[in-house]
Amino acid sequence: MSLLKITRRDAATGPVLHVAGALDYDQAPALRQQTAHLALKPGQCLVIDLSGLEFCDSTGITVLLAARQQALAAGADIALVAVPPNTMRILTVVGLDQVFTIRPHADSN
Amino acid sequence: MSRVDEEPEPTGTGDEAGTTAAFTALLEDSAEELYESAPCGYLSTLMDGTIAKVNATLLSWLGLECAAVVGRVRFTDLLSIGGKLYHETHFAPLLQMQGELRGIALEMKTAGGGRLPVLVSSVVKYTSGGEPLLIRTTVFDASDRRAYEQELLRRRQEAEQARAEAEQARMEAEQARQQAEADRGRLADALAVLQKSLLPDALPALPGLEAAGYYHTASPYQLGGDFYDLFPLDEDRWAFFLGDVCGKGPQAASLTSLSRYTLRSAAHHAPEPIAALTTLNTVLHERFTNGGDPRYCTVIFGQLEPQPGGHVTVRLASGGHPSALVLRADGTAEFLPTPGGLLVGILPTAPFATAETTLAPGDTLLLYTDGLTEARTGPARDSLFGEDALRTFAACQAPATAQELITALSGLLESFGDGLDDDTALLALGVPTHPPTRPATNRPG
Repeated sequence: MSLLKITRRDAATGPVLHVAGALDYDQAPALRQQTAHLALKPGQCLVIDLSGLEFCDSTGITVLLAARQQALAAGADIALVAVPPNTMRILTVVGLDQVFTIRPHADSN
Repeated sequence: MSRVDEEPEPTGTGDEAGTTAAFTALLEDSAEELYESAPCGYLSTLMDGTIAKVNATLLSWLGLECAAVVGRVRFTDLLSIGGKLYHETHFAPLLQMQGELRGIALEMKTAGGGRLPVLVSSVVKYTSGGEPLLIRTTVFDASDRRAYEQELLRRRQEAEQARAEAEQARMEAEQARQQAEADRGRLADALAVLQKSLLPDALPALPGLEAAGYYHTASPYQLGGDFYDLFPLDEDRWAFFLGDVCGKGPQAASLTSLSRYTLRSAAHHAPEPIAALTTLNTVLHERFTNGGDPRYCTVIFGQLEPQPGGHVTVRLASGGHPSALVLRADGTAEFLPTPGGLLVGILPTAPFATAETTLAPGDTLLLYTDGLTEARTGPARDSLFGEDALRTFAACQAPATAQELITALSGLLESFGDGLDDDTALLALGVPTHPPTRPATNRPG
């Protein structure tokens, strides 16, 4: 299982986190910490780019939900982009495809 | 610039004769001086020990006046009690026998009441006729040496103590290890009991229906979050559920317990599957949205209603849970899809998906948690077992009674080995082709 690597850049609409590796029981807390320290402003959109995601289990889902809660509490929005098919399948099974804004590419709206 | 009155150095640049003369004068001058001020103590005694001569160095060490010593006291009078004893029992007899002794450690008394550790060497001087005449004794101050020895001794004691402490620490560590092992055992026992409390002790016997359950625990030290139950709603109808809470450990267990009892009581108030899930959603959302990480579960809740002809109607609702699977009497297997149902507990109001089917004699309904479908397979454990493989496996088993299916699936789970790293719950409900002669009940595995 490859190590989780999170890189951040700031777009005009808000922070973009690129997540590569595995969001599992051992590593998902790292993304949780990263998102917890984001100072989101009302009207911004936190973009989580999952194009490098190799594996995501229920702990990963929990972290994504926590990020969503945090964004909404700050009056901001959240979007998942470039969700790999495996993770998309899980999101669909648990109904989260209706809850998260999901975009094919980081630069699409 | 030089000073005209400066005396020449004794070993300076004078002529050779002058140097020798100065050197001799220095030596002659120092004989008495050397005796008196030597860096060791000297004394001469008569054969009975009476002190005849003693040098200034020794007198100053002992803090005594020459007049108080010479002709007045014996050598042994200058020794401590211990020194005196040793002198009389060992020193004097040996000296008499050998005529000399070297480096004997003794202790002398000082005028101030102190003790002076010394090393004593003595030689007997004989007359030309061979008669012993007097004893010449040299005394070395051994305080530093004694201090050094004591330091050595102290270090040795320290080393010994450190060794003993290390040994003690090793024994304590071993005891702690044994204690930890015992604690681990007790913890595993306690967790096993707790885990069992989250599942029905035994599935009840249903008229016209066979039920079988199975629970695979991934780790004896980690409580899992899977749960299932089967219970009567009224005289005819039954309810069942199977779910999976997020996370592991005690927090997951408390969520499991809350979910299980909420669903049980909700089922009696509003037996419609969607209503039960909606109640659970409200309870979990209120309980866990205020701060902290989101806590949720996926669950399928269903109702069983017997129909004429031994058929049983199943109506179920799913909140984000993998689809149930139906094995038909004709040897096929199909999912009972529930798309669009959301995780329970993350939103104040959530959509849940419903599905309905009828189980004919020989049909079996299977509920499972994603430990089964997410098990990693293949030589490198890098591909998921998946839903398609599950359906294929089930079709190979069909038709199968609930117990036959659970037995086959528990064998499958076992074959995953370390590819199965999550808890997995299975619940199968089947309509027998012939009414059972006795009710089938199964304990969780």
